[in-house]
Amino acid sequence: MAARILKNISSASKRAVGSRLYSSEVKKCTIIPGDGIGPEISAAVQKIFAAAKVPIEWESVDVTPVRGPDGKFGIPQSAIDSVNRNKIGLKGPLMTPVGKGHRSLNLALRKEFNLYANVRPCRSLEGYKTLYDHVDVVTIRENTEGEYSGIEHEIVDGVVQSIKLITEDASRRVAEFAFQYTKENKRHKVTAVHKANIMRMSDGLFLRCCRDMAEKYPDVKFEEKYLDTVCLNMVQDPTQYDVLVMPNLYGDILSDMCAGLVGGLGLTPSGNIGLNGALFESVHGTAPDIAGKDLANPTALLLSAVMMLRYMNLNKHADIIESSCFATIKEAKFLTGDLGGKAKCSEFTNAICEKIAAASP
Amino acid sequence: MSSRLLPRLTHLRQVHSELTTNSFHKIPHHIKPETSPLPLYGGRHLVTLLPGIGIGPEMTSHVKEIFATAQAPVDFEIIEGTGEELVRNAITSVRRNRVAIKGNLKSVIDEDGFIAPNVMIRTKLDLFVYVTHYKTYKNVYSKWPDLDLVIVRQNTEGEYALLEHESVNGVVESLKIVTRENTERLAKFAFEHARKHGRRKITVVHKSKQLELSDGMFLQTIKNVAHHYPDIQFEDMYIDRCCQKLVRNPHHFDVLLMPNLYGNIASNIVCGLSGGSGLFSGMNYGEDIAIFESATRQTGESFVGKNIANPVAMLNAGVNMLRHLGKSEHARLITDAICHTLTTSRVHTPDLGGVHSTTDVLSEIKRYIEDVKHLN
Repeated sequence: MAARILKNISSASKRAVGSRLYSSEVKKCTIIPGDGIGPEISAAVQKIFAAAKVPIEWESVDVTPVRGPDGKFGIPQSAIDSVNRNKIGLKGPLMTPVGKGHRSLNLALRKEFNLYANVRPCRSLEGYKTLYDHVDVVTIRENTEGEYSGIEHEIVDGVVQSIKLITEDASRRVAEFAFQYTKENKRHKVTAVHKANIMRMSDGLFLRCCRDMAEKYPDVKFEEKYLDTVCLNMVQDPTQYDVLVMPNLYGDILSDMCAGLVGGLGLTPSGNIGLNGALFESVHGTAPDIAGKDLANPTALLLSAVMMLRYMNLNKHADIIESSCFATIKEAKFLTGDLGGKAKCSEFTNAICEKIAAASP
Repeated sequence: MSSRLLPRLTHLRQVHSELTTNSFHKIPHHIKPETSPLPLYGGRHLVTLLPGIGIGPEMTSHVKEIFATAQAPVDFEIIEGTGEELVRNAITSVRRNRVAIKGNLKSVIDEDGFIAPNVMIRTKLDLFVYVTHYKTYKNVYSKWPDLDLVIVRQNTEGEYALLEHESVNGVVESLKIVTRENTERLAKFAFEHARKHGRRKITVVHKSKQLELSDGMFLQTIKNVAHHYPDIQFEDMYIDRCCQKLVRNPHHFDVLLMPNLYGNIASNIVCGLSGGSGLFSGMNYGEDIAIFESATRQTGESFVGKNIANPVAMLNAGVNMLRHLGKSEHARLITDAICHTLTTSRVHTPDLGGVHSTTDVLSEIKRYIEDVKHLN
């Protein structure tokens, strides 16, 4: 199956990840345009990056499953090689093909890179009004285990059990990442979200790992909150939370809820950090009804690409692109349909490129 | 991988049979008792009162106060204590009286292990469904106006099975149990409830694409029950999409039907959107036992002794209890008093953005009740 193929390849081509930080040459990144509106918004992002003169060379791959030598559908070898080589990827929306024999690409990539943390910053966009102003929350979610470990059995007919797995290693890893992220991005508070009053051992272990990590970062404030309290308070006043770290299921739900607070999945970036690489993606759907009509909104993919730039330490370029994007939305002259405007995707993109040209020296 | 699991499976079958015989996680296969009328002594009902911790004792005493003012024919059997003893006494009393009102009970770790009385009472008494009705009050601040949502949530199994073990050092497993029988009972209750109260739509919330067997079975069982109720619109939705929709457009929903943990999350979200945890109450139902409490089951530690906690949540629980006991006139009287206090007199505690104290709210409610009584 795809995961096994990927594992074999990766062990053959391991490379020091740190080398990406030292060279000032042009870096290669894999881009997976995806389906539906994927190709249009990927093209928009590439255009914006060219306008900002970002030192990145794009390697575009297509991940439509092909029939492998064993008869099963899998990701094409070229895609696997590309992602392995470059270690950094940007992914557009993918349509999951229905039917057995298709291994989920997301799952394969997650296992391949050990993508252990999913980061979703949710920020209110000036110019797009929702019920909640001044939202600035980052949800960091453990991505590999927890409730979604997929271990289920039917014990007797009509009784099913599903196992939630929490390990010390994974919890420690994601806690460390959370505190590191908070420090690097000059944020001030980490909140661990749990339900240790009910799931005493599993969430208790997760909490212990977070507490241990908090001691290593004394200048970052740390608090623990029950899941119900966080949900209750988040919908009343989201400004009281800064960075949230949690296990898989709670993270899945809370990150989608926070995205809803700022305007939906069409405006939220998302990054997956792994041991041997990182993958940044837009989490909205493929929107087949507007595909090819130049009506799509590239904001989500663009902001994910900005996250990618920060991960690669290209902060100056990241700042210019991000502020141009926010300024265009705030100006509200060229807004796409989902933001309540009537502009085309290309007009929106051009507006951003103009602002970048004006900002660059 | 499957070969590694096989010995564990047989062990689990053994554990499962142990569980069904003598512990708190009974898979219900008892013979349904004939529903007998609720106990009535000299025209007065006796109900169990479990004060609990935090603001529980204060709030439940306010219920007693207001009941006295309204002259509701209800007496209270108060059960206090901690740990295993509390659970035992509470269960005996509630089995006898069949109706109870409670605050949040304290979880302890003693020589018997980890005791979570709230969960244990629910499972042992087989209170398989938890219903919360979130209806916004006029002139009380809420993020969304005119909300009217009912959340029906599985109350005994799912993630709250309290079955955890550390198989290897640093690796913990927690079991989530879903049974077809409990899900069917839950679904039937939900659809009957919807029909009785004129609700038009039920949305089932699940995550069956990740949890194919457990949530998959949950969804399929409910779909099968839905076929027998063609007059009620039925849809299903993933939990993450549901939470997102709740914060963007909660009016889409009418009745939400969910497993235990998702119900907890959605309940708290809707509670926050409708005005906060100080206002709403929840009803735990079994085959013939009912326990009433505040909807979000908060302990309210920070409000103890400060006279600023909102008594409306527990008072609403009391009202629900009166309705269940058939005392609809008294229930109507207290509900009107609460409504008048919140919407007309606008006596609001700090959690609603007001400046009044708990005693102010109670005085206003008592005043309204006494005025009505003088008119009659």
